[in-house]
Amino acid sequence: MSFREKSAWITLISVLLCFGAYFGAIVTGHITGRGLSSMLLLVVCGVALVVLQAALHILAAITSPADARAPRDERELLIQGRAHSLGYYVLTGLVLSLFIPVHLGHSAIDIANFALLSLVLTTLAVAGAQIVMFRRGV
Amino acid sequence: MGPGFQKSGLPIANQIRRLRFEHGEMTQSELAQAIGMTRQTIAAIEAGKYSPSLEAAFRIARVFGVGVEAVFQWRNTLP
Repeated sequence: MSFREKSAWITLISVLLCFGAYFGAIVTGHITGRGLSSMLLLVVCGVALVVLQAALHILAAITSPADARAPRDERELLIQGRAHSLGYYVLTGLVLSLFIPVHLGHSAIDIANFALLSLVLTTLAVAGAQIVMFRRGV
Repeated sequence: MGPGFQKSGLPIANQIRRLRFEHGEMTQSELAQAIGMTRQTIAAIEAGKYSPSLEAAFRIARVFGVGVEAVFQWRNTLP
């Protein structure tokens, strides 16, 4: 597995873990009415994401140092470009769908969380698309 | 379909595996290093999962000291 594919896996897993925990806590807080503050949760999950991504990328670079140092080749650039192109459409659709909670009268913090969810889902779509293209070919 | 042609959806077949074998059993990593690509990209080209750019095709052919048509062929069964 190339360093770039490992990087896509790291992004997918770390974002799923950290923001899965964040949105899990937000939803649980809404149901029980006794949640932590969104800001505190966001800081904790954001820091956890940065630490986890940095640690896993360092580990991946140690296991294949030459691959990690090398610039992206043409296939990797093509995969990156196509995945980000897909991400653009996903993000556009999700941002447009933010009008729904606005129309339904959700609070500002809910709208902010929907916007954050849009970014998270876009990141997952980009990483997932990269993995599929690395595995199946472009 | 001649020897060395891989089953894939791409219209371009290649002889890289055979040429590597004929050039002292050159590894995919050695070929990748010679043309500035990753080993995984060479593996994808060999498996018919990726068609390289024209520049990369010429670089591969130069490593083997042959013309580009000796490395890559258009599949006659496709339009």
